[in-house]
Amino acid sequence: MSYDTHKTWFYQLVGRDIHLWQYVESNATDTLAGIRISLPDEYYGKQLIYPDEDITNGLRVEYTALIEPFVDEAWESLTARASSSTISFGDGDGGSSRDTINYTSGLGDFATGDKVRIIGSASNDGDYVIANAASSSILEVAAGSFATEAVGQSITVYQIPDEDTTPGESNHINLNRMLSLAVVDYIKAQLSDSKGELERKEYYMREFWKKVGDNESNKRKISVTFPSGPFAIR
Amino acid sequence: MTVLEIMERAGMKETTLAIAWMKDAFHLIQSNVKEHTKSEKSNIIDGIREYPLPADMIALKSISIKDTTDSKYKRIRRLTHSPVVSEDTDPE
Repeated sequence: MSYDTHKTWFYQLVGRDIHLWQYVESNATDTLAGIRISLPDEYYGKQLIYPDEDITNGLRVEYTALIEPFVDEAWESLTARASSSTISFGDGDGGSSRDTINYTSGLGDFATGDKVRIIGSASNDGDYVIANAASSSILEVAAGSFATEAVGQSITVYQIPDEDTTPGESNHINLNRMLSLAVVDYIKAQLSDSKGELERKEYYMREFWKKVGDNESNKRKISVTFPSGPFAIR
Repeated sequence: MTVLEIMERAGMKETTLAIAWMKDAFHLIQSNVKEHTKSEKSNIIDGIREYPLPADMIALKSISIKDTTDSKYKRIRRLTHSPVVSEDTDPE
């Protein structure tokens, strides 16, 4: 049984691997008939040991990756959203036995082909593609997607980017407008580089990083206050 | 913004190369800021120390271990020095 893992576990990065260590202030232990026991012939004291228990899905790694770089719709237009405790799900009750999302007059912003994420349901959380936006009250998804669920849970359905793995000129880059403009600068920099115009390349790379930085600062609201002295001119 | 619009703004005509450079730019952004993140979970096995980093990882954000007493993933710290033990042939 792992406890206080933020205090008792450590990691080390070695090449492409994570090395996990457990900090113990005892000797190595073993589990016998469900009871953890100290092994008498082991060293006693502070030490780092290999993980000494099985934990299902115990290691969680959070990271950035090249996640869905090209999508079918601009990031800014993914605004369809419905949130209510009167959303229900049907199993095979739509056209061609498709499964349904039901919410009286609250689904009008969704369109056929949209990718949506469902959160808060009892058994139907996940990502789905709308096969048919039948009406402002019914969305149909592929058969076999849902289990029947009556109203009652506080459920949110919202649109998410739909990746295109073979991007073309009509696809959108999966970035907001500021970062898309940064990408324009990056391409200008690469074009300048290929022509041997290094000063222009440097200029456009500066513009690229400036926009990336602006985009980050747009997420942070920082207020700065300056104390004024007692004899300051006001 | 569409691929075509980005190409027109940059004055570029080759779509394939433009898409490749857009991926490079995306990669560079992901490498420096945490614009899109994802997580991956794997089992911890008694006596096993090495676990592979995700193959598609660009930049690491955090590593957490599940606290089974309250079912919460808690961020763990990186060792600043390598332990004296380089390999334990009898970790039990």
